[in-house]
Amino acid sequence: MVITKIALPRRTFIRGMGATLALPFLDAMVPALSAVPKGAPRFAAIYVGNGANPYAWIPTSVGVGFELSPTLKSLEPFRDRTLVISGLDNFQATDQGDTGGQHPRAAPAFMSCTHPKQTEGADVRAGTTIDQMIAQHICRDTKLTSLEVSVDRNDAVGACDHGYACAYLNSMSWKTPTLPLPAETSPRFVFERMFGIGATAEERAARSHEDHSILDGVTQEVSKLRARLGSRDRLKLGEYLDAVRDVEQRIAKSESSNSDFAVPEQPVGVPETFREYAEIMFDLQALAFQADVTRVSSFMMARENINRSYNEIGLPEAHHAMSHHSNNPEKMKSYAKLNAYHVETFAYFVKKLQAIPDGDGTLLDHSVLLYGSGMSDGNVHNNYDVPVVVVGGRDQQIKGNRHLRYPKGTPLANLMLTLLDKFDVPLKSFGDSTGELDLLAGV
Amino acid sequence: MTAPRLAVLIAALCFSVPLAYKVQATGAAPQTAGAVGQPSPSTAPPPRAVFDKYCITCHNQRLKTAGLTLDTTDLAHVGDSPDVWEKVVRKLRTGAMPPPGRPRPDKALSTGTVSWLEGELDRAALEHPNPGRPTLQRLNRAEYHNAIRDLLALDIDAASMLPGDSAAYGFDNNGDALTLSSALMERYLGAAAKISQLALGEVRGSPATDTFFVPTDRNQGIRFSDDMPWGSRGGLSTSYYFPVDGEYEFQLRLKEGGADGGFFGVTEEPQQLDLSLDRAKVWSSTVGGPAIAKVRGDQRDQKVLEALHFRLPIKAGSHLLQAYFVQRTTAFVEDLFDPYLRRDPYRDGNGEPAISSLTIAAPSARGQLNAAAALGTPPGAGGAGDDATATANDSPTLRRLLVCRPASHEAEAPCARKIIETLARHAYRRPVTDADLQVPLAEYRDGASRGGFESGLEMAVRSVLVSPNFLFRFESQPAAAAPNSPFRISDLDLASRLSFFLWSSIPDDQLLDLAARKTLHEPAVLREQVQRMIADSRSDALVSNFAGQWLQIRNVSGFRPSPEVLFHFDDNLREAFQRESELFFESIIRENRSVLDLLDADYTFLNERLARHYGIPGVYGERFRRVSLPADSIRRGLLGQGSILTDTSRPNRTSPVLRGKWILENIFGAPPPPPPANVPELKEERDPAKVLPMRAQMAQHRANPVCAGCHAQMDQLGFALENFDAIGEWRDKYSSGSPVDAAAELPDGTRFDGPTGLRNVLLSHSDDFLTTITEKMLTYALGRGLEATDAPAVRQIKRAAAGTNYRFASLIQGIVTSTPFQMRMAEDAN
Repeated sequence: MVITKIALPRRTFIRGMGATLALPFLDAMVPALSAVPKGAPRFAAIYVGNGANPYAWIPTSVGVGFELSPTLKSLEPFRDRTLVISGLDNFQATDQGDTGGQHPRAAPAFMSCTHPKQTEGADVRAGTTIDQMIAQHICRDTKLTSLEVSVDRNDAVGACDHGYACAYLNSMSWKTPTLPLPAETSPRFVFERMFGIGATAEERAARSHEDHSILDGVTQEVSKLRARLGSRDRLKLGEYLDAVRDVEQRIAKSESSNSDFAVPEQPVGVPETFREYAEIMFDLQALAFQADVTRVSSFMMARENINRSYNEIGLPEAHHAMSHHSNNPEKMKSYAKLNAYHVETFAYFVKKLQAIPDGDGTLLDHSVLLYGSGMSDGNVHNNYDVPVVVVGGRDQQIKGNRHLRYPKGTPLANLMLTLLDKFDVPLKSFGDSTGELDLLAGV
Repeated sequence: MTAPRLAVLIAALCFSVPLAYKVQATGAAPQTAGAVGQPSPSTAPPPRAVFDKYCITCHNQRLKTAGLTLDTTDLAHVGDSPDVWEKVVRKLRTGAMPPPGRPRPDKALSTGTVSWLEGELDRAALEHPNPGRPTLQRLNRAEYHNAIRDLLALDIDAASMLPGDSAAYGFDNNGDALTLSSALMERYLGAAAKISQLALGEVRGSPATDTFFVPTDRNQGIRFSDDMPWGSRGGLSTSYYFPVDGEYEFQLRLKEGGADGGFFGVTEEPQQLDLSLDRAKVWSSTVGGPAIAKVRGDQRDQKVLEALHFRLPIKAGSHLLQAYFVQRTTAFVEDLFDPYLRRDPYRDGNGEPAISSLTIAAPSARGQLNAAAALGTPPGAGGAGDDATATANDSPTLRRLLVCRPASHEAEAPCARKIIETLARHAYRRPVTDADLQVPLAEYRDGASRGGFESGLEMAVRSVLVSPNFLFRFESQPAAAAPNSPFRISDLDLASRLSFFLWSSIPDDQLLDLAARKTLHEPAVLREQVQRMIADSRSDALVSNFAGQWLQIRNVSGFRPSPEVLFHFDDNLREAFQRESELFFESIIRENRSVLDLLDADYTFLNERLARHYGIPGVYGERFRRVSLPADSIRRGLLGQGSILTDTSRPNRTSPVLRGKWILENIFGAPPPPPPANVPELKEERDPAKVLPMRAQMAQHRANPVCAGCHAQMDQLGFALENFDAIGEWRDKYSSGSPVDAAAELPDGTRFDGPTGLRNVLLSHSDDFLTTITEKMLTYALGRGLEATDAPAVRQIKRAAAGTNYRFASLIQGIVTSTPFQMRMAEDAN
């Protein structure tokens, strides 16, 4: 075939006015870090839908010094910080009598360990996810309680399973069992949430002041309205009021925090290739951690059921279609190649965090990064033995350089319960947990 | 269980969820005045014997097949269990029951039974209307955009301000799915701030910039749209709102990826690059040339950027901006003979540079001053007359917003009140009270104390735009309404239901006035208003939002077919796909055609690019025009259109399954359930030599009885479209060389071949299609999923539209006069 490739957009694709130099984006500035508490704990969850090829994902050896599998190879430089966990079941994502819905259930169940209800109506329900529980605990003083980002558009139509509201596919983070958090897909929106709007400290302060006043007004209006509404409408309005209060808190916190830092050039567009797009989102999360805008983030790097194709690495087939490999060796190879590509993209984030000094070490030392999928082998479409990796966690006494294989039937909830404990959110049980993974720190 | 029996069961399951009617406990509601519609005559006695003979063998107390017991059900009170009986109706209508292999009543008996059931259900619905209750709806992004347009004469780029909305039941105006997170609240705050600044022409602080990108796969070797100037190639076109008279700063960027990583196509050959404003050239520059070709690397890029950085004085208001290269007639000679073939979009053009983005920065205060001189704007110009404090700027937005302009400082507060009151009436879609004005007036005073009249107004506009009264569609309930009883919604709420349904926007003055006079609900008035609203250009919203989602035209902008296998695809084709389907649906609305034309119209809309893609000769140029299609044309109707054919394909191949599923969902209204767990999808063979013919692959699939139930129908529907490749181009052979076989056979024995054969099958099921489009439109109109209790309304709408052969407007009239649209169920007692 006589096809020369289309010119790939460079990072400058996201630039508007100004710089021509190909400086690594967002690295042009480093916030004045004096205000950041040294070594505060951070948590990031990265979700990749449609499972992974288990033959290429699961390392063949277990224990310390195991051999990294082909899919996980790119984590080699961080082997000491890498804990591969296999054998966990995302049991709450299984059908349990529902019709279909393997995809929509997988992500909401992943960090909530609660069976998402089959519905498109008002009764959408999953469970509070651990990132949100951790955020409630460690982000009391940060400007944002948490950050949710994604690189998949959430408004494509006809993409959601029949009988399941689209929120199930779109949201991996649930603030409450009934409030799925939509993930932000625009780098610029993420940026503005983090740093506010305005080029200088004065402009941002003026803006905050005005927003504060506007929100005061909103609160007054809501209280007037509540009196004359029915119960269902009141519930909906309550949601609105909660959002208003969250924003008020964010404004109050940013007014009191040290705003004396240079805000980097903001991203204006959306890169067209997956890799560049995902990296920008990782850059923003790293920046959020670095500037202590928040300490918790979640990143839907590939939504369940997504049909993105990855021509840039020679994979023209759609992601979801590829995951149904029918045990065709060629197709399984492609699937594994894609899984490895996702891990490699994640490794970019790990590397980035490792390069940023923080407290007595680096950001990576203080961060726990949870990477995984709520589905196992896409071909069998089930949720047993899902792929999970935990990276970082030095401060949380999580020891890397190990592959832990748990016995059949161990709930994923045990890992979530353990992670909650690592962030001092002690619970007796979580979802369908049967206990903590006592081996998490051991060996 | 033996395989055939299992297959039957699965088939039954497959048809058991054609419509997601939710079970809803509905007590007998008292009859209310003004129930809409007429009952169907129901005289025949209950066909007990029919059910006894054909149904209760499985659906009895003991077996409870599919949870359904018909042996003990009281046929005298069918209306008490609409959720059960609507399912039975659906099963009998679609012929899904009794299942194959069981004794079946003959056609007349089956039809008679269904008609009797429908009559009973309809009569019960009329006696005890259950209009349902939509959940409080938040404005979605499209509605927000249109509301701002109608409030402030401001065409904002909503996608750059607000995130998209999640959908349920196929539409993103579903109240239940429209949640509100703190992240979204921040966006609303940000949008309100930006819009109020734009509206008042207040540019404060550092200049804000906006950047517009050219899709990287747009073919910039040609004039890409009829909208662009003759002799242009590539570039972009955008309508932009300039908030204030001033000197704006522009930066054009070129596509990168040249040999040394810099801008592409900067050579010794100079290329002229122009910018036009409202179709008049206002700036021109040259890219390349002998001098710059000598400079290397970053320095060269820097020089190019400098040459593409400029300032222009521009008057406030909305202007059309177009940036483009000038087509060189010295281009390769073969272009002149066959530009389509020559300009394969996935080759690097002719090494010519292409535009990648345009950034616009608002002027600083100094820029405004300079511009005033340049534009020769006298202070207070633009209809402000003798008002001393009128701004030097004028714009349609200011004219819309400033219903008065204060002549003195004392006049400011009363004038502000008048302005805010007018704005709030439109924004809140009802007459406003003093209480409504408290907050915005306080914001006005706060802003005015810091920056004067206009700053005050800016704050007031901001507060109105984040008010729950604007962002949510509250519907009022009469104090006297008994809990869970139906009541007719107020005229004001009706005005909003109408405008959000037909315009995806707020009601205009005429609607509000009629509603305030409480005459809008009167049949003649309502009818006339609906006619007016359909004729109004704002009803384009039905194309972008209703058809855009139902027919999934919205997905076109996200199409990314694999360039390796489908190298004829580029942004130009993407735009053409979208344009064709939009124009097609729009013609149904504007010409008040029968909605059945969607399946089989004798025309479509094409430009040269699309016509060539479709193999239709005689269409030249970028302009879209109506093209007649002969009776046997493969392109007739929706299923001949590239937008739908591509939407239902994988990025690198066709999928009969996806196409069949699309037809079941959107034409037959019988979406198949998702595949059960642990079932692999179609086997894929990448080695072309080993690829099984499509039929053999699919046969493997259907060999599994678990799959066969749905796939036996779904795949066959898709097979008929196999001649259309994954971007809708016709093919007689697969890339493997084997011929395409588009013959198909449905489980009921119907045989057909190719797109025209499929079209005849669809037309023979036109009643299913009419039910589907009515249900989809009603779902969209109500902003909620349909319940079993809505089925009588759907039938009534269809019946009423039959007289006009289902012309578009008659369906709309049917919907707006239906029980669920006109009424509402009162809230439960707390």
